Amino acid sequence: MTRITTIAALLAAGTALAPCTAPAQEVDYSGTLSILTKFGMQRLQPYFTDLAAEYEAMHPDVTIELIQEDDDSIKGKTSTLVASNAIPDIFFSWTGTWGGNFVRGKRAADLTDIIGPGTDWGKTFAPAAVDAFVYDGKYYGIPLYLDAKFMGYSKPVFAEAGVEVPETFGALLSACDAIRAAGYLPVSFGNKEPWAGLHYLGQLLAYNVPRDVLEADFDPATASYDNPGYLAALGQFAEFEEHCTAGPDVNGISYQTAIQQLSDGKSAMYYQEIIEFDSAARPDTALTPEEFGFFPLPAPEGAAGDPMALEGAPEGYMISSASKNIPLAVDFMKFATSQANGRTLSAPPYGQPSAVIGGSDPESMNPSVVAGLDAIAEASYLVPWLDTVNHPRVAAAWLSEFQGFAGGTSSAEEVMAAVRKAAMSVSN
Amino acid sequence: MARTLSLPIDGAAGNGSVLSGLRLSPAARRFLAWRWVALAVLIVGWFVYYPIFDNFRVSMTSSDIFTGEVRNVGLENYRRLAEDPVVLGALANNLAYAVLSIVFQVFGAFVLASIIEDIATRRMRNIWRAVYFIPSAISTTVTGLLFYFIYQPDIGILDGLLTALGLGHWSRAWLGDASTAIYAIIAMSQWQGFGYSTLLFTIAIQKIPRDLYDAARMDGAGPLRQLWSITLPMTREMTGMMIIVTITGAFQVFNEVMVMTAGGPNNSSQVLGTWLYQMGFSQNEMGYAAAIGSLIFAVTMACGLAQLWYTRRRRVAA
Amino acid sequence: MTDISHMPAAADDAVPARAPWALLGRAMLQALLVAIAALVLYPLIWMAMNGFRSNAEIFNSPFALPAHWSFAAYAAAWQNGVSQFVLSSLVVTGVSIVTTVFISAWAAYGLTRTTIPGQPLVVGFILGGMMLSPTVALVPLVRMMQDFGLYNTHWALILLYTAFRVPFTTFLIRAYMLDLPRDLDEAARMDGASEGQIFRKIILPLCRPILVSCVILHVLFAWNEYLFAMIFTNSPETRTLPVGLTSLMSKHGTDFAQVFAAMTISALPIVIVFFLTQRYFIRGLTEGIGK
Repeated sequence: MTRITTIAALLAAGTALAPCTAPAQEVDYSGTLSILTKFGMQRLQPYFTDLAAEYEAMHPDVTIELIQEDDDSIKGKTSTLVASNAIPDIFFSWTGTWGGNFVRGKRAADLTDIIGPGTDWGKTFAPAAVDAFVYDGKYYGIPLYLDAKFMGYSKPVFAEAGVEVPETFGALLSACDAIRAAGYLPVSFGNKEPWAGLHYLGQLLAYNVPRDVLEADFDPATASYDNPGYLAALGQFAEFEEHCTAGPDVNGISYQTAIQQLSDGKSAMYYQEIIEFDSAARPDTALTPEEFGFFPLPAPEGAAGDPMALEGAPEGYMISSASKNIPLAVDFMKFATSQANGRTLSAPPYGQPSAVIGGSDPESMNPSVVAGLDAIAEASYLVPWLDTVNHPRVAAAWLSEFQGFAGGTSSAEEVMAAVRKAAMSVSN
Repeated sequence: MARTLSLPIDGAAGNGSVLSGLRLSPAARRFLAWRWVALAVLIVGWFVYYPIFDNFRVSMTSSDIFTGEVRNVGLENYRRLAEDPVVLGALANNLAYAVLSIVFQVFGAFVLASIIEDIATRRMRNIWRAVYFIPSAISTTVTGLLFYFIYQPDIGILDGLLTALGLGHWSRAWLGDASTAIYAIIAMSQWQGFGYSTLLFTIAIQKIPRDLYDAARMDGAGPLRQLWSITLPMTREMTGMMIIVTITGAFQVFNEVMVMTAGGPNNSSQVLGTWLYQMGFSQNEMGYAAAIGSLIFAVTMACGLAQLWYTRRRRVAA
Repeated sequence: MTDISHMPAAADDAVPARAPWALLGRAMLQALLVAIAALVLYPLIWMAMNGFRSNAEIFNSPFALPAHWSFAAYAAAWQNGVSQFVLSSLVVTGVSIVTTVFISAWAAYGLTRTTIPGQPLVVGFILGGMMLSPTVALVPLVRMMQDFGLYNTHWALILLYTAFRVPFTTFLIRAYMLDLPRDLDEAARMDGASEGQIFRKIILPLCRPILVSCVILHVLFAWNEYLFAMIFTNSPETRTLPVGLTSLMSKHGTDFAQVFAAMTISALPIVIVFFLTQRYFIRGLTEGIGK
């Protein structure tokens, strides 16, 4: 590029910051698109690689650069890219505070005119999924798939131990005792990466703390964290840990080891995201897809929250406001969220239930994923992940204190005191 | 030498063949000698000294990477540092690292080196030294991951070994237990590092004149006596340096902790380096991270000055 | 190990101890050396073995030998990025060896063979860099590298490895040069040789042992460095082995054989380099230490 065109490109980037991105604008099919994905896992990587190849074949002047990260590394990588003003044109985002950061920093393009209510593209998505990326009444995210947490279990082990799918939290604990007596680890649980344990707690909080209280506490400005439901949920988790898991040792086990234990038929259950169904049970693992079943973590009887709540959230992508070719980025995402590509994503080996209406074909999908989608549709409230919905400092307090709680070194009161303190320090 | 003079101009940056032909005043000539050190001064100044000064400036700010907003907050980050319980825990962990490393990598290695020098043949001596050195040659990422697996409750060989020895009740999730995590990491570090210091000690011991030992033996001194009254005093300089280097290293430790526990569970194995990383790069609190950096600077600087003072003193004494 | 106890006379210094308790003591010390060697080697052998075993074997019989020797995991690891990481490590290590050793050798020459105004200050400045911790410089360096456009390039690592190793390398070479006799270079200077020629033709060849040691020490450092590599690179093309390994660990975390294979692949070259060069390495250290 000559200097003059470089300057022109920089100027164009500046104008792109203007709030409206003129959806009708003619797409210029040339240049480079960089994409930060969360599909870095070996099993998921080909999805975007294939999409990119196909798109490049359709538009030979477009080059796509993929940065594929995984669950563990995506946060750090995103932060570094943001700090260096090198945000890719299209980037992964969770809902909640995480996505809000980009909006607050004016890093994400406002997509209201192209994906908002009444737009052609917007109508192709499950409405709740698009709405999850609304900030201050504007639409910023393109949901790719739906995610929620379920207890996956091994049908043969349940049969051997003579237990049924538990309907209540108490029934789950007694089922665990029966399974342990039958010689299996009831639930494989690895809390070396502390978000794994926090997922249990998020679901239990939704059962024990009323939704409006929970949502007020997610916002540091209105947080008080004094609802008794918090201590109740921690108490339930402690019981669960004692009856169902390896105990305080869980902090030394990686979540990957835990999932392996279920796949190897050594444990009866593993609490997992719907997007993990297709990796927990594969035709080549000891636990086959036919032997795999799932159920929502059962709600404790008489808890003060919403027993029909389910922990989960759509996950999606945003477009950088600094992108030199926003229309092209939008066009690529339209391509990625076509019904056909949605079906590919929903089916094995990916098993990520698409957020696109008609983007999932039960015929080609793992039946458990199909049933999981139904369960998501029936949930009265999707409570987002605690570590992405909260301010980073509050999330850090949850993560480390809860790890201490699981290891038996912090009490429930200490956990809540630390979380409260972190929330106060942020709001000041 | 005359032959070398007729060689064509050499390509080194410190090339003086053109300059030497010129008539220069001695002062100018002395000034030109700077060209030898210019690159070193430049690169060290730019990438080592400047960032460390800049770190103090950053430590007085608070920034939001998403909005790009930077605020001056004065000493606020240092106040937070003083009140942060994790910093205190991290300091204690760094200290434990230093103490245990001195025990194993300085004194343990010294004893081991003496044993090797005393009883092994020349050939075996080289073999022992080389074998013990292997872990030091390998990346801490590899050894950290390796021990991460060794400490695992299910696939790890440590718990398997303990069970085989009838000590099954000792087995635990070494890295998952807040009371053992940092010690498990330190243990790995000793495994990795002792060979390096053993090698350095054997070199130092070999420099001791043999006749000192012969004379001691004539006087009927046993091996322990020789160790105490000859080897130890004669390697004192090496020991002193090693202690200071070990302490400095213990306050910069990062890699093994990052790979094995990332500071968990519940920050129990956090050291200053990993806490800085976590604050700066996963919680985006660069200002606070810089303040932690200042603390590391203060500690390592103190060690460095102690080292300088020690070598000076030794030199004067010698 | 038995050959040693049978041939105490072969030991170059030790006078054979005849008393039975001394023999027993020696036997115990020999046993100690063997035990420590086993402690060092066994985990490494276990690591290499696990690269040959299946996941189920690794989980169910951690101590057993592989059921069959399959290089599948090694091949998979190599293809899934390790080859790229090895290439990056080679580039970064190779280039930074050259820059570090040359810059340090020039500086050492300048500090020992010329009279620089303010020489003690320059010595203090360069060697003082040894006391400064990379961790402390981290936060500002991130911004610097981004401003220079070097973020996520091999150059970032090459520059930083050079900058942070020049002080130590200069320290070693300078100590060595200080002990070199001055008559040779003074004679050459009488003959009218330029400084550049004296450096290249006389001093540098004499310094070969310490230069070799410096190169080996630099390889050990650069091949294994993690902190800078983790912060300043972020794509599979630029990542060096230590960082690539951790990313492999999180991406293929459930395929343990492949992770072990990748670990072995990254450890092996450095161990081989060390064994091939240890004679020179130790000689250089012996002559460079204790000055």
